[in-house]
Amino acid sequence: MYKRTTDENLKRILFLGAGETDFGMQGENDAAIYQVLPILKSQGYRLFLVDDNPYSMALESSEAETIVSTLTVQNIKSIIKEKQIDAVFPGFAGIRGLRLWQQIISEWREEDGARPVGLGMPDSTVELLNDSAALFERLESAGLSMPRATIVRNQAEANELLRDLELPLLVRAHNPAAGTTRKIVRRLDDFEDAIDQVMSQSLTGEVVISKAINGLKEISILVLRDSNGNCMQVGATEDMDPVGIHTADSLSVAPVLTISDQVLQEMRSQAFLVANILNIQGPVHVQLALNEKTNQLYIIKVSPYLDNLTNRMALMTGYPVMLVAAQLAAGRVLQDVELPDSYHAKTAMMEPVMDHIVVKLPVFSFGDLKAAGVEVNRQLNSIQKSVGSALGFGRTFIEAMEKAIRAAHFNNRSFSPKYMKNVSDDELIQQLIHPHDNRVLLLVEALRRGYEVDELAELTKIDEFYFYQLKQLLKIESQIVDGEASQELLSVAKQSGLSDGLLARFWQSDFQSIRAMAKQSGVVPTYKALEPSAGEFPENAHQFFATFEEENESEPVSDKSILLVGAGAFRMGDGAAAGYVTSVVLSELRKLGYKTVIMNNNAADASLLPHLSDKQYLEPLEVSDVMAVVDQEHPEAIVVAGNRRKLIEALVALGQKVIVLPKEKHQPAGPESDESEFALNIFYDGEAAYPLVLTQHQEGEVRLIDQDVFDADLSGIKLPYSGVYQLIWREKRTDWPKEVALPNFAVDTWLRPMPFGEIAFLSKILQLSLIRLVVRSWKGGLDGSDLEALVAHMPALRGSDFAMVSDRTDFNLHLKPDSPIDSTRFEMGAKMIRLQEN
Amino acid sequence: MERHLILEDGTVFSGQGFGAPATTFGEIIFDTATSGYQETITNPIYDGQMIVFAMPVVGADGIHAEAYESINPKIRGMIVHDLAEVSTNRQRRMNLDRFLKQHNIPGLYQVDTRKLIRHLRETGSQKATIVDVVDDHARDQLQATVLTNKQVQNTATTKAYSNPGRGFHIVVIDFGLKNGILRVLGDYDANVTVLPYTTSVDEVLTLDPDGIILSTGPGNPEDLPESVLTLIRVLQSKVPMLGIGLGHELFALANNSELTTLPAEYHGMNHPIQEIISQEMIYARQGRGYVVDPDALDTKKLFVTHRDMVDNSIQGLRHRDFPAFSVQFFPDGAPGPLEAKRVFADFFETVVDYVQKNN
Repeated sequence: MYKRTTDENLKRILFLGAGETDFGMQGENDAAIYQVLPILKSQGYRLFLVDDNPYSMALESSEAETIVSTLTVQNIKSIIKEKQIDAVFPGFAGIRGLRLWQQIISEWREEDGARPVGLGMPDSTVELLNDSAALFERLESAGLSMPRATIVRNQAEANELLRDLELPLLVRAHNPAAGTTRKIVRRLDDFEDAIDQVMSQSLTGEVVISKAINGLKEISILVLRDSNGNCMQVGATEDMDPVGIHTADSLSVAPVLTISDQVLQEMRSQAFLVANILNIQGPVHVQLALNEKTNQLYIIKVSPYLDNLTNRMALMTGYPVMLVAAQLAAGRVLQDVELPDSYHAKTAMMEPVMDHIVVKLPVFSFGDLKAAGVEVNRQLNSIQKSVGSALGFGRTFIEAMEKAIRAAHFNNRSFSPKYMKNVSDDELIQQLIHPHDNRVLLLVEALRRGYEVDELAELTKIDEFYFYQLKQLLKIESQIVDGEASQELLSVAKQSGLSDGLLARFWQSDFQSIRAMAKQSGVVPTYKALEPSAGEFPENAHQFFATFEEENESEPVSDKSILLVGAGAFRMGDGAAAGYVTSVVLSELRKLGYKTVIMNNNAADASLLPHLSDKQYLEPLEVSDVMAVVDQEHPEAIVVAGNRRKLIEALVALGQKVIVLPKEKHQPAGPESDESEFALNIFYDGEAAYPLVLTQHQEGEVRLIDQDVFDADLSGIKLPYSGVYQLIWREKRTDWPKEVALPNFAVDTWLRPMPFGEIAFLSKILQLSLIRLVVRSWKGGLDGSDLEALVAHMPALRGSDFAMVSDRTDFNLHLKPDSPIDSTRFEMGAKMIRLQEN
Repeated sequence: MERHLILEDGTVFSGQGFGAPATTFGEIIFDTATSGYQETITNPIYDGQMIVFAMPVVGADGIHAEAYESINPKIRGMIVHDLAEVSTNRQRRMNLDRFLKQHNIPGLYQVDTRKLIRHLRETGSQKATIVDVVDDHARDQLQATVLTNKQVQNTATTKAYSNPGRGFHIVVIDFGLKNGILRVLGDYDANVTVLPYTTSVDEVLTLDPDGIILSTGPGNPEDLPESVLTLIRVLQSKVPMLGIGLGHELFALANNSELTTLPAEYHGMNHPIQEIISQEMIYARQGRGYVVDPDALDTKKLFVTHRDMVDNSIQGLRHRDFPAFSVQFFPDGAPGPLEAKRVFADFFETVVDYVQKNN
């Protein structure tokens, strides 16, 4: 047993960054690193961070020495040597961090000197995780079951395998050429045919055979373990959809509702056993499959690093997962973990319990892509297709689900009898068996058409509980649609998570009248604190969600607060950059002494970190939700991104002071492959425009042009809102010139708000936070002291050495689009790349 | 139908009735566990009590044959926020609502349970009643009601019975035994005899047990007759003994120590418990209204083996001279974490020791 806190030599810690955002990586790792830097620094560590993600918040933190570099073994090794690193923190960078650390370990040579310690798990575990056969053996010998997958090359090998495995089996192609078929073999007679068929689909003639566990219930458990071997369960969630649909693409709910205590405790024990076998210090996310007929459990995935469940669990439970995880990895035991004063003294050791329900709903971009003329494969399977997710908080499943739907879609389509009318019965059955993104709508429609609950449960492998809940929702729906507006119905509707706008549509009324009626009849939200003790202890909670009950626990933070409306779920196009912008706004407002309130529902987003604002509302972001919070907090001003036009109009109409953060409705499309887009980037302080820097953009790549533009004549520019903007022109050229002839800005260019991603990138390479500049301009007029304050801690870069590149996403793997996807407009993430010296 | 909960301090909470339409009186407590509602409401330790669930949706897992902690639930009421109607019974529809109807227990849902729990946290456990109408009559009835202190008599067996196995012979003294304990003894293939708590020392010793378990049970241990403490004092000196819950409290009383009453009872499974000897941390289901007073512990006879790391309460005791020990928490799970089962392993180690020495 070793206690690393006592190791005086462990002083300089390097965090590996997570790199560009992508499917399944929505910025949560960066938010986590950003969150834990201050507490580790206060415990005496000297911190370093390396990343190449332009949208990183952590790279702009003053708590660490930050380094922008491509995340390669070579680069990390030289940083380790140059900075004399004692320990490396790979787990906060998720699976990428772990893989990179594996490589560093295996490529470390004697002449490289002493290798730093890896925090979070011993080297032997890092090795084990890289060898799935060995891992399988290790877990199985401890009595755990895993669905074993074996690769075979011919019928003989396949038949050999039959001796060990029981039917049914899942047979699929290894390295498939294109579309893959997954065959479930239930009868011995079908086995040979299935192997033949699948083998022909494989580029390498290989077939993967495993025990078929599709259709089983899928559960995720998050465990924290310390160096003394103490384990605690942070929480568990269940997926509505069965194994076979990627967990990111399924509706999921916490706490677990439909599984008995006996089975849950067995899962918990197995998850602890996994954590102990792997000797984890910190978090481990264990995914299990449950066969409810036999109560047989399978471990289907072990992720001993931060992933999106870690952040989600922190937000859902109110338990500070990241702050605890970082200290455990650095060697503290649970008993000695330090937390900010706002938590109960024993919070770190108490397993959080939830007295609310949280539904996570995936967000798909199929519709946006279709609008741009790209069709993709919409059928959900084991490959992630969702780009982000939104959370709904409530006190019933229906309330949480409806709020999640509103959070994910900005309009409530599930709750409309007409929406699914055009789906034929055949299609309906097809989609029940092979689900698409409209999962919940389809289930509701099936119930509406009179399918029985047990039939549906059999077809979909979804627990009956969900169908009873949806039936309840249908009942409420018909009550509302058939009824007149009344206090009673309004109350039922609001308790079910529905918005004023939707009710207005049903009752041929308008938003304002419904709102007035609700206020008059006392149907107003009560905000419940989100804290980890379920009411057992008074905790100084800062996170709240709305429900419609008796007690309201939220007190206004100040008579002079600013409310920020967050960006919601990660979407293609603005992705992680939107979270970055919101977070920097919060950080700067706080620096300027304002009390801040944030509304958001995206767990991956740094903007919800407890230390960035005075209060967080975990709510959908529709007009009625925002107005309800306005009624509660009476903020001085509300900050809204410019793409939320309807919300801005509604707020202004209601007499609120709105500060608009300029943003286009859609992410602008990138230049064609044979042209370049040039931009003169400018700052508008509310009165006049100032030139900043010139950039050039070719398909998926942005570079800075080192050319003096301070003489550009911008005197004609008048804009409604202060912010950063771009004057754009395009030229048919694909070189990267060192200097360009400037056009006549008044005639030959068009003006647009600077996309959030470019704001994040330019802030880093200019070493000047553009968002902080904009926030300072809101108070009217900037002076020298502002600029001085803003030459904040930024990585020391020479701007023109770096390009921002955004075409790395593997759209083919995830979406199978029928035509190329514009990597600018539908960007998932980007990285900063150092250009060759020339 | 709208029904109401009146607390002794006069506060009223309203909700919709489910289960039986009965009017009942009981002591109201809250439970913060998020799983195991069926085990909880059938646990005999809740005899005479009304339980408020912090878990907002209750009933989603139906009613299971393997989740009974006793056949006849003795709770006086169940207060939840949202009620799910799910049946998992293969023979007939049996959801939580019907189950409570069958046992004549009223329930209340659509209650602001978080407000109620925050209220109880401050005002403590107290008398309460579930009624159709809130009026002076109902309030007077509540004030006039004296809750029984005969819960153990109510729930514990009055006749000896056996649960045969091929292993060690374990005598369980029943104070309101929950099935979880029998289930774990079954895992060890123990040959179990369950005896009423009124059994005499002679009757127990005639059975020549290899170990004795003082079971869990409801109510205040000080309401039990002195003869129980005498029984414990004699038996602990002769045969390995494990006390659980009420059994632990009685074990402390029998050894010249005192208890204190908690202002608000704790029912849940999220507190870490430290096993002092190993410094290891476990979680276990707890349900307690009384704890051993650390200032009135006879340290000549007993020493502390476990502590709750949140409120520092005593969670385990061991006798200095005899192979006898006890835990306040429930090591059988049902519901609750399984890591606490190690207490039974310790017990059987002691039993093995005893058997080897005395053969």
